[in-house]
Amino acid sequence: MSVLFNQISKVFADGTVALDKLSLEFDKGEFIILLGPSGSGKTTACRILAGLEEATNGSVSVDGRDITNLPPRERNMSMVFQNYALYGHKTVYENIAYPLRIRKIDRDNIDSQVKKIASVLQIEQLLDRRPSQLSGGQAQRVAVARALVWTPDICLMDEPLSNLDALLRLQTRTELKRLHQDLGHTFVFVTHDQEEAMTLGTRIAVLNQGKLVQFDIPRRIYHEPATRFVAEFIGRPAMNIIEGEVSGGMFKADTLEIPVTGQPDGPVAMGIRPEQVVLREGPTDESVSFELDVLELIEPDTLLFVKKGAASMVVRVMRDVGDLDRGAEVHLELPADARHFFEISDGRRRI
Amino acid sequence: MTRVLDHGVAPLLLIPSVILLLVILVGPFFYMVWTGFTDLHYALPGRDGAFVGFDNFRRLMQDDPIFWHSFLLTLKFVFWVVLVEFIFGFALAMLLFHYIKQHRFILTMLLVPMMLAPIAVGLIWKLLLSGDFGMFTYYMRMIGIFDQQTSVLGNASLVMPAIMMIDVWQWTPFVTLVMLAGLLSLPKEPFEAAVMDGARPVQVFKDVTLPLMRPIIALVLLLRGIDAFKEFDKVFILTGGGPGISTEMLSIYTFRINFKDWDLSYGAVCAFMVYLVVLIMCSVFYKAVYWNQGRSKPTQAVTS
Amino acid sequence: MAAVATLVVVLVLFLTPYIWIILTSIKSRLDALADVPVWTFTPTFDHYPKIFIDKDYLPLVWNSLIVAIFSTVLSLIFGVPAAYVFARFEFPGKEDLFFFFLTTRMAPPISIVVPMFMLFSVLGLTDKPIAVILAHTTFNVSLVVWMMRGFFADIPREIDEAAMMDGHTRGGTFLRVLLPMAAPGLAATAVLCFILSWNEFLYAFILVAFEGRTLTVGIPGLITPHGTLWGQVAAVAVVATLPILFFTFLVQKHLVRGLTFGAVKG
Repeated sequence: MSVLFNQISKVFADGTVALDKLSLEFDKGEFIILLGPSGSGKTTACRILAGLEEATNGSVSVDGRDITNLPPRERNMSMVFQNYALYGHKTVYENIAYPLRIRKIDRDNIDSQVKKIASVLQIEQLLDRRPSQLSGGQAQRVAVARALVWTPDICLMDEPLSNLDALLRLQTRTELKRLHQDLGHTFVFVTHDQEEAMTLGTRIAVLNQGKLVQFDIPRRIYHEPATRFVAEFIGRPAMNIIEGEVSGGMFKADTLEIPVTGQPDGPVAMGIRPEQVVLREGPTDESVSFELDVLELIEPDTLLFVKKGAASMVVRVMRDVGDLDRGAEVHLELPADARHFFEISDGRRRI
Repeated sequence: MTRVLDHGVAPLLLIPSVILLLVILVGPFFYMVWTGFTDLHYALPGRDGAFVGFDNFRRLMQDDPIFWHSFLLTLKFVFWVVLVEFIFGFALAMLLFHYIKQHRFILTMLLVPMMLAPIAVGLIWKLLLSGDFGMFTYYMRMIGIFDQQTSVLGNASLVMPAIMMIDVWQWTPFVTLVMLAGLLSLPKEPFEAAVMDGARPVQVFKDVTLPLMRPIIALVLLLRGIDAFKEFDKVFILTGGGPGISTEMLSIYTFRINFKDWDLSYGAVCAFMVYLVVLIMCSVFYKAVYWNQGRSKPTQAVTS
Repeated sequence: MAAVATLVVVLVLFLTPYIWIILTSIKSRLDALADVPVWTFTPTFDHYPKIFIDKDYLPLVWNSLIVAIFSTVLSLIFGVPAAYVFARFEFPGKEDLFFFFLTTRMAPPISIVVPMFMLFSVLGLTDKPIAVILAHTTFNVSLVVWMMRGFFADIPREIDEAAMMDGHTRGGTFLRVLLPMAAPGLAATAVLCFILSWNEFLYAFILVAFEGRTLTVGIPGLITPHGTLWGQVAAVAVVATLPILFFTFLVQKHLVRGLTFGAVKG
C-alpha cells in the first residue's frame, strides 16, 4: 500500500497559505513523522489525509485510488487527537468499542478485540472507568486503543504526546515505538518535537511554512540537512551557524578565519554541530582560539558557549572540563568533514 | 474608605440588596400567606381579615373545581408549548449551526418575537386573529383551514390551541438562541473523533451531540416550563380567560379572584399555590443546572 | 439550498406578524380595518400624533422611561456589589443565598402583586412611579447579581492579586480595576434590565394609578368593546416595541448569558 500526496495546497478563508504544493509518498508499515514548527502546515496535512479538512488543490491517493473527496469514514484511517477527544459520557470500554459498534461487528467479537488491544496497551483495569477518572497518560492510551482496535490502513496521530508531562512523554514514546514494531501498522505522526521525530520515525517529513523541506530517514536528516532550516531545527543544542564568506580558500567571519577546500567564493553560512567541535587542551595546528562566555554542566555533558569576535558557538563535550573562568581561552578544532555550508540567500545546502 | 473592604467585611455588601428584597418581596409574600389564613374580602361586607384557619385551603382542595380546571389547563399548556418550542427551536438551531454562516445576523432577526413586550404580542395577535379584519384569519379561511364563520378567539375549542401557537411563535426563538449558543460552545474534538471512528451524521447526533447538550437541554426545558406556567400578559389581553373559562390559566384565575371578585384571602391561597409550583420548579432547575458547577462539566472533552 | 429556503420561510413566519402591526400603524382607518388584508397602500402617519398628542399618551412614554431607567440604576447599585461578593468571596450559606436571588427573579408577579400593593398603600406610594420602580427592582436586582457574578468571575483572580500588589485596597481593586474590566458586561446587564422593566405589564398595571401608567399599561385600555382604533393602538405598540429591538441588537452578544442565568455563556 502506498500513500501519495500530490501537490496538495491549502489556503484558508482569510488568505493564510497553510500548505504549498506538498508532494509526498510513503509505504505501508512506515512510521512517518510530519515535523515542523507551529504554522508549518503539519497538522493541516494530517487533517487533509484524514478527511477532516478539504485541500484547495491537489489530490491524495491510497494504493492508486483517489481519496481526495471521500468523507473520513470511508478512508479506513483512524486518528489520535492531541486532546484525546474521548467520549466523556461513555466508559473506557465503550469508547474503545465505539468504532467497532459503528461497523456493526457482533458483540462477542467486539469484546475480544477490545480486551486484546486493552491488554496490549496495559489498560485492562481501566475498562469500567469514565474519562474524567483517568490521568493524562491513561487517557492518551485509551485514545490510542480506540484508534487501533480495528485495523485501519493508517493510524494518524496529531501531537498525541504534547499534553503529557516530560517523564510520561518519554515513556509513552518508547511504548509507541514498540507498538509500531509489534503491530506493523502504518503510522503518521505529527509533532513539533524534533527529538520525538528522530527517535520514532522511519522517515521524517520536515515542513516549514507550508512547504516540504526534506523527506528522508532520520540519519540523513541529521547528517545531511538539505537546508539551513533543517540543520537548525534538528538536534539539541541546535547546529551552530556562522555567517561569513569564502574567499581565497579561507572562510572568514569577522576575526574567525579557517582554511576551507572545495568551496566557491561568496557569502556563505557555515554550520557545525556542537558535539562535533573538538576541544583541545592547548593550541594545535588546526585549532582556533575562542573566548569562553558561559559554561553549563549538564552531567555527563558540558556545554561551552564561546565567542570569537562577532561569531558565537556552542560546544558540547562529553566530559567534565573542570572549572574554567569566564573569558578563558579555549582551543577548538572544526573538522572539515563536520562542516556544512549553506547559501545565505535561501538556506540551501551547498554541495 | 475603600480600605474598609480589606477587613473581611466584604460579604456585608450583600446586605443592602438582601434587605431590599426582604422588604419589598419577602415581607409582602409572608403577608400574603397570612392573608390566606383570614377571611379578607374587599367586596363582601364584614370580611375584614379575621383568622379562619385552614378554611381557604380546604375550599381550594375540595370545593373549587374551577381552580383545578385552571391548574390542569396550565399544565397542559406548559407541556405542549415547551415540547413544541423545544423541537422547533432545536431543529432551527441545528439548521443555523450546520448550514448558515451568518447565523448571528439571522438570529438577531429571529429574536424579534421574544423581545416584544408580551402585552404587545397579545395585541398583535388579537388583531391578526380578529374575525372581521384579521390577516391571519383571512388567509386561514382562504386556504380552507377555517370556514367563513370561524373566529378563533370566540371559539372555545380553537382558542387554547391558538394561544399555544402564539406562545410557540413568541418563544421558539429563545430556545433557538440558547441551543445555538450551546452548540457553538461544544468542543470540536469529540465530533471529529466520532467521524474518524466511522459514525454517520445521525449516529454523531445521537452519540455525541445529544449527550453533550444534555445540561443545556435541561436548562431550556426548565426555564421555559417556569415561564410558561406563569403566563399572564398575552392571555389577559387576548381573551381575558374566555370564552368562559376555556383559557383561564392559573395566573388569570388568580387575577380574577383577587381583582374582580376581590376575595383577597382566597386569592392569596391561589397565589400561594402558583408560587409553590414555581418554587419547586426552581429548585429542580437550580439542582439540575448548577449542581455540576463544582465537578467537571459534562460539556468538556477530556484533557490531560 | 433547502436549508436557506427553510430559513426564509421561518423568518417570514416570525417577522410577518410584527411587520403587520407596523404597517397597521401607518394605514388609514379604512385600510387597517379592511376585511381583505391590504399590503399596498398610501401610508399615513396621522395615528401617531393622534394618540400621543391628542389623546395625551406621550406622558406614558415618559413614565415607562422613568421607571425603566430608575429601576435599572437602582438594581445596578444594589446588585453589582453583591455580585462582586459572590464572585470573589466564600462564606457559609453562599449558594443558598444565591438560590434566594434566583427565586426572587422567578417569583410569579401575580403571587406578589397584591400584598405589594397593600404595602405601598400603607406607605402612601401608590400613585407614584416609585412603586413600580421598586417592584421592577425586585426582579432586576437578581438579574444583575446573576449576570454580573458571571462577568466578575470571568476575570481571573490574578488580576485582583496584581492590583493589590500594585498598591490598591480591595475596594480600590473593585472600583478601579474590576468594574472597568467588566464594563461591557455591565452595559449589557443594564440594557437587559431596562428591556425587562420597559416590557413589564402586571406590576405596572396594578401598582400605579392612572397618571403613572407606563406604555404597556396603556395598551389594553385602547381596546374597547365599542370598537378599537387599531391604527392608534398599533402606533402605541410600535413605540412600545421598536426601541427595545434596537437595544436588543446592542446586547445580543450577552443576551444568552442574561436569559439563562449565567448558565450558558453564549
